[in-house]
Amino acid sequence: MNSSSHRAFSLGRIAAITVNTLTELTRLKIFYVLLFFALFLIGSSIFMARLTFQQEFQVLKDIALGSMNIFTSVLAVVATARLIPQDLEDRTIYTILAKPVPRSEYLFGKLAGVLLLLALSVIIMSALFFVVLNIREQTVLSDTARQMGAAPAEQVAEALDAVRASAFNVNLLSGIAIIFIKACLLASLTLFVSTFATTSIFTTIVMVFVYFIGHLEGIAREYWLQANSAGWMTKAFLGLVALLFPDLQLFNLSDDIVVGTAIPLALFVKTIALGSFYIVFYLLLAWAVFYRKEL
Amino acid sequence: MTEPAVAVIGVTKLFPIPFQWRSIVAVRDLNLQVSAGQIYGLLGPNGSGKSTTLKIILGLVSPTQGRSEIFGRDSSLVASREAVGFLPESPYFYKYLTGAETLRFYGKLCGLRGAKLRSRIDELLELVGLTSARNRRLGGYSKGMLQRIGLAQALIQEPKLVVLDEPTAGVDPAGAREIRDLILDLKRRGITVLLSSHLLGQVQEICDRVGILADGALVREGALDDLLAIENQTDLVLEDASPELVGEIETLAAKSGARVIERGRSRTSLERIFLEATEKPKKEIADE
Repeated sequence: MNSSSHRAFSLGRIAAITVNTLTELTRLKIFYVLLFFALFLIGSSIFMARLTFQQEFQVLKDIALGSMNIFTSVLAVVATARLIPQDLEDRTIYTILAKPVPRSEYLFGKLAGVLLLLALSVIIMSALFFVVLNIREQTVLSDTARQMGAAPAEQVAEALDAVRASAFNVNLLSGIAIIFIKACLLASLTLFVSTFATTSIFTTIVMVFVYFIGHLEGIAREYWLQANSAGWMTKAFLGLVALLFPDLQLFNLSDDIVVGTAIPLALFVKTIALGSFYIVFYLLLAWAVFYRKEL
Repeated sequence: MTEPAVAVIGVTKLFPIPFQWRSIVAVRDLNLQVSAGQIYGLLGPNGSGKSTTLKIILGLVSPTQGRSEIFGRDSSLVASREAVGFLPESPYFYKYLTGAETLRFYGKLCGLRGAKLRSRIDELLELVGLTSARNRRLGGYSKGMLQRIGLAQALIQEPKLVVLDEPTAGVDPAGAREIRDLILDLKRRGITVLLSSHLLGQVQEICDRVGILADGALVREGALDDLLAIENQTDLVLEDASPELVGEIETLAAKSGARVIERGRSRTSLERIFLEATEKPKKEIADE
C-alpha cells in the first residue's frame, strides 16, 4: 500500500464506523423500545374517550412528548454506555485502532452512529404520535360535525377550527427537536463517561445521577443565588457545576407546548445552540481522555 | 542496508497501580529489531510483557521511555499503521456481521472502495478458505474460522507487516496447522510476520528468529538455527539400516574419538498422528 496515501481525516472512515455502530445497535433489538412507545400511545388514547377534546389532545400530547423524552433519554444512555467497554472486552477496538484510524474518528463514528439511531427513533415515534393525533382529530371533527348538524354553517366551521387548533400545532415540532437535542447531549456525555469508566454498568449508574442532578440543579441554583450569602465562590462553583452537569431542565419546554403556548424563536434557537455546545464540549472532553488512554 | 520492519529502541513501560505509589514494570529497556521479510517469534511466559510489547509497536500503548518504529516511522503516528495488520489474541469481532461484511468494514477503514475492495475480499476469503462461509454471520463461526477471518482482516490493506498475538490460541491442531501454513505463505509473499506464542513447537517450525522475554526483559535473542544448534553434536538419520551397520558406525565413531550419546528409532510427532487420523475420515466423507 502506498505509504503517502494516508489522510489525517476521512469522512469515509467515520461513515464506516457510524454505519457499523448503527447496525450493531439496531441488531440489539433496541428498537423494541419503539414498539412499547406505540402501544403506550395507542393504549392511552383509548382511555381518553370521556374527556373533552381539548383535554384529550392535551393529555395525548403530554403523554407523547413525555414518553418520547424518557425513551430517547434512556436509549441515548443505554446505547452509548456499552459501545466502548464492549469493543474493549471483545478486543475489536484493537483491530480497528491498529488500522490507520485516528482515535478521534473512532469516537466521532461511534457517537454519530448513536445520534443516527436517536434521529431514526425520534422520526418513528413522531410519525406514530402524529398518526394517532390525526386519527383522534378526524374522529372528533366528524363527531362535532354530526352533533352540530342543525347549527348554522358559520358556527360549525368555528367549532371545527377550534378542534383543529387544539390538535396539531407547529410548536410540537420545536418540542420534538429539543427532545432530540437533549438525547444527543446525553449520548455525548455518556460517551465521555465511558472513556474513563471500566464497565457499561458504571457508566449507566453515573449517568442516572447526572440525569437527576441535571434536572434539579436549576432549582438549587435559584435557591443559592437568591440567598444573600451568594458570593463569588458560590457563583464560581455553580458555574463549574453548570459546565460539567448540563441544566437539563432548560430542555424541558414540553409543558408549555402541551398547553399551546408558543415557543419564541429566540428561546428555541438558544436551547438548540446550548445543546449543540454541550454535545461538542463533551465530545472534545471524551477525545481528550481517549487520546491518551492505554488500551 | 534495508530498513527494519520493526525497531524497538530502549523501551520501558510502567503501569501505575491505582491508589498506590507503585508501578508494575511490564517491559524494561527493550531493544528489538525485526528485519523485513522475516518471521519473528516473541516468546515468554504469561505476564512476561509480550502483549504490551506488541501494543507499543502498534501504538495502542505509549512507552514510558524509549520509542518504537515501523518501517522507520514512529509507531505513535496513525500513518505508520498503514503498513501493519494486527490480529489480537482470541478476538471476537462483530458477531452480527458476515465474513464478507467484516472484511468490507475493515477495508473501508483502510480507505478501500468499490471494485478494488470487492476483489480484495474475494481474494482474502479464498486465501483463508472461507469462501463458502462468506455470507454466514461470525456468531456461527468456529474458533479456527474466527482466527482465519481475523487473519484476513489483518491483511485487507496488503500490509508489509503482520502482527499476530497468539494466533493459534484455542484452535485445534488442524486449524493451527492451517494458520501455520498461512503464515508461511505470507512469508513467501514477502510480508514480515511478528508473532507471540506459547506454543514453542510451532514457533520452532516457522520462525527465522526469536526473542525470549522474561519479566519484561529480553533474555535471549537470535536466529533460530543459531539458538538451537548444539555446537559439538551432529544428527545422523538412517533409513533401512541393519543393526550391524549401526554397530559399525558406532565402532567407527569410537575409533575416531567421538561418542554416540543417543540411539533409537526415529519418532513421528503426536501432531502428525492426530492430523493423519482426523483428516483421513474427513477425506472419505468428502469422497462419498
